Amino acid sequence: MSGEWGLYVHIPFCQARCTYCDFNTVTGMGEDMHERYVKALIQELAEERLPDGSLASIYFGGGTPSLVDADLLGAVIDQVRLKTALAPRTEITVETNPGTVTAEKLSRWAQAGVNRLSIGAQALQNHHLSALNRIHDAGAIQDTVSLARNHGFSNISLDAIYGIPGQTLTEWQATVTGLLALSPDHLSLYALMVEEGTPLQKSLERGEQRLPLGDLVADMADWAEKALTDQGLMPYEISNYARPGFASRHNQLYWKLLPYLALGAGAHAYHPGRRWWNVRGVRRYMEMVEHGQDPVDGEEILTAAEEMREYLWLGLRQWVGVSVPAFSERFGCHPKEAFGPVWLSLGNMGLVAWHDSRIILTERGRDMANVVARALVDAPLALSVSP
Amino acid sequence: MDQAHIRNFSIIAHIDHGKSTLADRLIEVTGALTAREMAPQVLDSMELERERGITIKAQAVRLSYEYSGERYELNLIDTPGHVDFTYEVSRALKACEGALLVVDAAQGVEAQTLANLYMALENDLAVVPVINKIDLPSADPDRVMDELLDIGLDATEAVLTSAKQGVGIDEVLAAVVRHVPPPTGDHGAPLRALIFDSRFDSYKGVLVYVRVMDGALKIGDRVRFMATKKEFEVTEIGVFGPNPTLVPELLTGEVGFFAAQIKTVQDTRVGDTVTHAGRHAGQALPGYRPAQPMVYSGLYPVDSEDYGRLREALEKLQLNDAALTFEPETSAALGFGFRAGFLGLLHLEVIQERLEREYDLTLITTAPNVVYTVTLVQGGSLRVDNPALMPPAGDIATIEEPVVQADIITPSEYIGAVMELAQERRGTYLNLDYLDALRSRLTYRLPLGEIMYDFFDQLKSRTRGYASLDYQLKGHEVADLVRMDILLNGEVVDALSTIVHRDRAYGKGRQLAERLRELIPRQLFEVPIQAAIGSRVIARESVRALRKDVLAKCYGGDITRKRKLLEKQKEGKRRMKSVGSVEIPQEAFMAILRVDGE
Repeated sequence: MSGEWGLYVHIPFCQARCTYCDFNTVTGMGEDMHERYVKALIQELAEERLPDGSLASIYFGGGTPSLVDADLLGAVIDQVRLKTALAPRTEITVETNPGTVTAEKLSRWAQAGVNRLSIGAQALQNHHLSALNRIHDAGAIQDTVSLARNHGFSNISLDAIYGIPGQTLTEWQATVTGLLALSPDHLSLYALMVEEGTPLQKSLERGEQRLPLGDLVADMADWAEKALTDQGLMPYEISNYARPGFASRHNQLYWKLLPYLALGAGAHAYHPGRRWWNVRGVRRYMEMVEHGQDPVDGEEILTAAEEMREYLWLGLRQWVGVSVPAFSERFGCHPKEAFGPVWLSLGNMGLVAWHDSRIILTERGRDMANVVARALVDAPLALSVSP
Repeated sequence: MDQAHIRNFSIIAHIDHGKSTLADRLIEVTGALTAREMAPQVLDSMELERERGITIKAQAVRLSYEYSGERYELNLIDTPGHVDFTYEVSRALKACEGALLVVDAAQGVEAQTLANLYMALENDLAVVPVINKIDLPSADPDRVMDELLDIGLDATEAVLTSAKQGVGIDEVLAAVVRHVPPPTGDHGAPLRALIFDSRFDSYKGVLVYVRVMDGALKIGDRVRFMATKKEFEVTEIGVFGPNPTLVPELLTGEVGFFAAQIKTVQDTRVGDTVTHAGRHAGQALPGYRPAQPMVYSGLYPVDSEDYGRLREALEKLQLNDAALTFEPETSAALGFGFRAGFLGLLHLEVIQERLEREYDLTLITTAPNVVYTVTLVQGGSLRVDNPALMPPAGDIATIEEPVVQADIITPSEYIGAVMELAQERRGTYLNLDYLDALRSRLTYRLPLGEIMYDFFDQLKSRTRGYASLDYQLKGHEVADLVRMDILLNGEVVDALSTIVHRDRAYGKGRQLAERLRELIPRQLFEVPIQAAIGSRVIARESVRALRKDVLAKCYGGDITRKRKLLEKQKEGKRRMKSVGSVEIPQEAFMAILRVDGE
């Protein structure tokens, strides 16, 4: 094990809820609640036992971390520093909504040690942005990026969504081209996932709007991959592209099944053998922490076989794939020993390949990663392997 | 009860004309059940019957009614309301001396009204017309009376009712006493009791519903079933009021049930005659015929490990359903399953639903087909109940298919539309009568295989819901039929083979291939679809490969959720049948029923 771990900090507050979002978010809570919540985060952290090894990353996700006062995020980072050393290489990311970023916040984040911004752009057409209930327009995206550059942020990631209702290939190409013109160091391009219970899902169900056909969405993905690659933004995961050296350290922890702590309402943490999560309700989370209670709401204990499967289907999301020696070292057996017949069938289908002691998805395998994941998610473990 | 005070009657009606509601009212008015005990449509006791609003099995209820100061025993024998069960209806009518013919005051006489009337007249029943639903704003009892006159009934005897509002119910009961003759049998003769229904009770074994025609049946009697030649000792006798009540005996003319430790309804065939093992009757009551499945379908568990459970479930259902037949069958595509025979499509659907609901099985049901009689070139003949088993064309001299005579009553303005439909379904025109100024009866000979599925729906939609249909089997006829195979990925999928008329083969093949292209989900590889007759491909389509199947986002907070999503997707795929490397959803096996070859 590399001895690295990460810290996820959940900031659930949003100014408005995007139509597609099913994350744990709240709208309409004022600054007093922001402060109270961050106090609870700091208290939760104070009582956590940190994993061994070095802290590779802190990630402020949401919700909208950029909505709250910048000093509040700084206070959480300060508390981390009290408990463990922060290396200069430690990646500290803040997810931002372009409608909430100011020069003031940028400079205070920089002071606090934030060194990476993930900016939710989503689209560059105002009619799409407003249909998705985003609080900003296309201009705000460009302004935010240049403001951030002016404040010295040298690691900027942009998010965009394709396959949204009514979107044409031309519009998507304009979004991708427009985002590339901002010279991001990292891009996350997500095919829209319609989640149960979201306003988007209900609207689709009522037939008010329609999703683009699967072939069009596939064309969008393929076109974008080529456009990004041509600009030196290389794909390193199903939805993620980076210039060399700018792949998100934090997200790689997830795909490599390395430990991460998580603070805040509904946040999920993992340590080998166990995944656990906090209560979702923001008020309930604060009350529990304030009363000295552990805010954990549930956990799952992962058997060695379950960890092997997760390690593989998560690891294969990355273009670098899974290292066979790393797998063997962690689990005490060769992946073929553990799941031989599954590899055989995935190999026959042309979805995975073995190269230089790594297992990787083939080009077709990347397009059909779910076929691979479904094969692995409950793959029977060979009897000869006794974890 | 002395015979003079017994009345045995049925209620016959076109579907939805209010038969069940009237039955409920009769039960309520005679006090057989308190209002609190009355669930709507008491006689439809199966959950499915209530949901579908169709009586699937017959039942009998004894009502006690006082008329002119004397007490009468009225036995109401309910009849199944679907054309699949025509034979069961005819046996139930055999157990009666009279019938209430219920006609909707707004709809008037319909095809089943006529078919039921003819059946009642064939059985020499006294027919009491009941014009129901007179509360409807569109009710027109005068017009309906004219229609009744036209079909030879004494309309002045008609009772006007609104079963829903409880109007005219007492008049109906009085009419039964006045117009239905008492039973005539010979009390001193050897026992002859007609079986008109049976059902399985897990404590008592089979309950046999009988009408005693001659003699008497007592507890302890040793009885013989004349067709199946089985003998049993009667342990219990009862009547339904509609709650079961035990009685010591059933006398001539009476209706009730008995139990005799009988393990399966296969021993108690509807239409059979019960007599005493000792002093037995010389001759059985006429008209018995064994249940004859009309349509066949393959039933396969999606999970091959459920084969044993499917067999057990079918065996259990058969305990209570003498018309259900099944035998093991193997399909190259679907593995081990059963070829099951049914009275009709409703019967098939009911069995399929019960297997899935009550026995929690996930099934692939192949498209139902009729039975073909094949004469071979080198002599001899075969009965083919599975299209995949149709011999090669070169070995076949002729193929015969079952045909029906269908009576369709329609407003005259839709005659053209109905004739067109019948032509499309290879119908032969037989007759056209004008029933009155507005309505006509068309008679066609049609292949059973052509009207099995959506004929009725089509008939309804082309006549704005006004036409009604009844049909009777009329033997077999030679037709120019061929087997059409479907190849997926170059392999014949035997469960998709079907028998079609040669003239329609191209159209059907093309449509079926198109339907399959829509129904088979895009998957990892391209799936070529071909329809073929023998080695000649008549239609081609292809399901293009799925281009992308990925989860866009998977980060720390939702790994557990995404894993569950993947597991759920996998479960969804398990509900499809993998044939070779192609995943085929259940609906694909029924696709042939949705193509008309036009």
